[in-house]
Amino acid sequence: MTANILDGIVLGLQFGLLAAGLTLVYGLGGVLNLAYGQMAVVSAMVVLFSMDADVPALPAIGLGVLAGGLSGLILDLTVLRPVYRLWGEARVLLSLLLTLGVAFVVDGFLNWQYPQAGLTLRIGGGPVEILGVPMRAGSLVASAVTLLAMAALLVFFRATTLGRAVRSVIEDQEGARLVGIDPHRMLRLILILSGVLAALVAVTRSMVAPVTVTAGFGLTVNALIVTVVGGLGSVPGALLAGILLGIINTIAASYIGTFLSLIILLTAAALTILIRPSGLLGVSE
Amino acid sequence: MLEVIDLSAGYEGGDVVNQIDFHVDEGEAVMIIGSNGAGKTTLFRSLIGLHRLSSGKVLFEGEDIASMPAQRIVRLGISFVPAERHLFPRMSVQENLVLGAYPKRPDTETIELVMALFPRLAERRRQHAGTMSGGEQQMLAVGRALMAKPRLIVLDEPTTGLAPKLAAEAYEALGVLRQRGLTILVAEQQVPLAMQLSDRGYVIENGAIRMEGTSAELAQNPEVRHAYLGVV
Repeated sequence: MTANILDGIVLGLQFGLLAAGLTLVYGLGGVLNLAYGQMAVVSAMVVLFSMDADVPALPAIGLGVLAGGLSGLILDLTVLRPVYRLWGEARVLLSLLLTLGVAFVVDGFLNWQYPQAGLTLRIGGGPVEILGVPMRAGSLVASAVTLLAMAALLVFFRATTLGRAVRSVIEDQEGARLVGIDPHRMLRLILILSGVLAALVAVTRSMVAPVTVTAGFGLTVNALIVTVVGGLGSVPGALLAGILLGIINTIAASYIGTFLSLIILLTAAALTILIRPSGLLGVSE
Repeated sequence: MLEVIDLSAGYEGGDVVNQIDFHVDEGEAVMIIGSNGAGKTTLFRSLIGLHRLSSGKVLFEGEDIASMPAQRIVRLGISFVPAERHLFPRMSVQENLVLGAYPKRPDTETIELVMALFPRLAERRRQHAGTMSGGEQQMLAVGRALMAKPRLIVLDEPTTGLAPKLAAEAYEALGVLRQRGLTILVAEQQVPLAMQLSDRGYVIENGAIRMEGTSAELAQNPEVRHAYLGVV
């Protein structure tokens, strides 16, 4: 049981970081990015191909993170342009349809060109015992990196002027404009940041299990579930829900079976919506 | 300082304000009075860059700002306090004020000026804006607007939702700002308060300017007395 909970936390931290990117873009700009998982896969492939071309691991990871950020910028500059002319539900709907299109194109291309590709980063060193459970070095490094990224994210939003400016747009877009903040520039920044987060999740995930070309939609679905449970637009909510669902997922997979874990996650999400429609830490409008 | 020429603006169904002309000189306090739905809010939202103009010009110190978005206009030196305030409810008083100075870091002098003007805000520095009373929120909205060090402050019905005593206090604070040389443009339904503050005024009815004059002249005008000062 302890092993399951610890493994669940490892997975949950990644869920949380993944969902943070999705929830921020939605909270800030009413854009639901269904190509989010593909951003992570593209980053993973950039790391993989760089390492295949004999680039050392750390610079290769750097290139992957860069690719993640760039993919966010490209979305902002291309497919999302018509989305920005709409407001409210129409905006959410068009962003959802267009990014789903992007997801299919990217997924199709990668599966056609590199059907066998998968990124696995091996971290040296033997298992480390934590609470009597031997944990793989990969899991520990992955969790350390994820925790560091989360801490950086929270410091950015709580303690920097730019981070506060981003939050102000989530809280009151008109108020933000009145103090001189350009909501669209903040959204572009956050799209780039979400790409970086997707890349970090891809990299840390590959330290625990392979990230294959087909992983995109699965990552998006997980991020969506965590986002809904945590509350749309809430970063702390995403982090908390990520850890909770990670533990539920691991325990369900271990005691019931992997084939049911997605159903159990969806059930947990559905129950949350029934009991608390705005999510764990979401704010009801 | 501010010159509005032939401004028309509205929504898809048609213009709500038509061919408005008015001006505000440096150091003046100018009021725009009119009943609910007369077009004051649409007028202010369009000159401040939150709403698109159908036609007309808005000159601020000679520069046409009519097609600029609100986030650029505030950097030129005009701060707007909307009737709905649009504070950041889940941020502290302090954070709201800090963001008022965006993108610069707020200087202590301006923060101290705001705290001296509204001592309540100093007491509630760490409190979330959304949990404060209407009067305190109004103080914070004005305080946040001052953080940008504007040369012109534009207020849309600053007494909205305030009890008479708090409304009077709000206008006292505006009086202090006026004495410090800040130029003020205010739209108001509570005409007696606005009249004490302002040098001049315009009366807006059905989206057009119907009368203008010094506050003293308007206070003597029988129509104004009847419609806005409750004198039969």
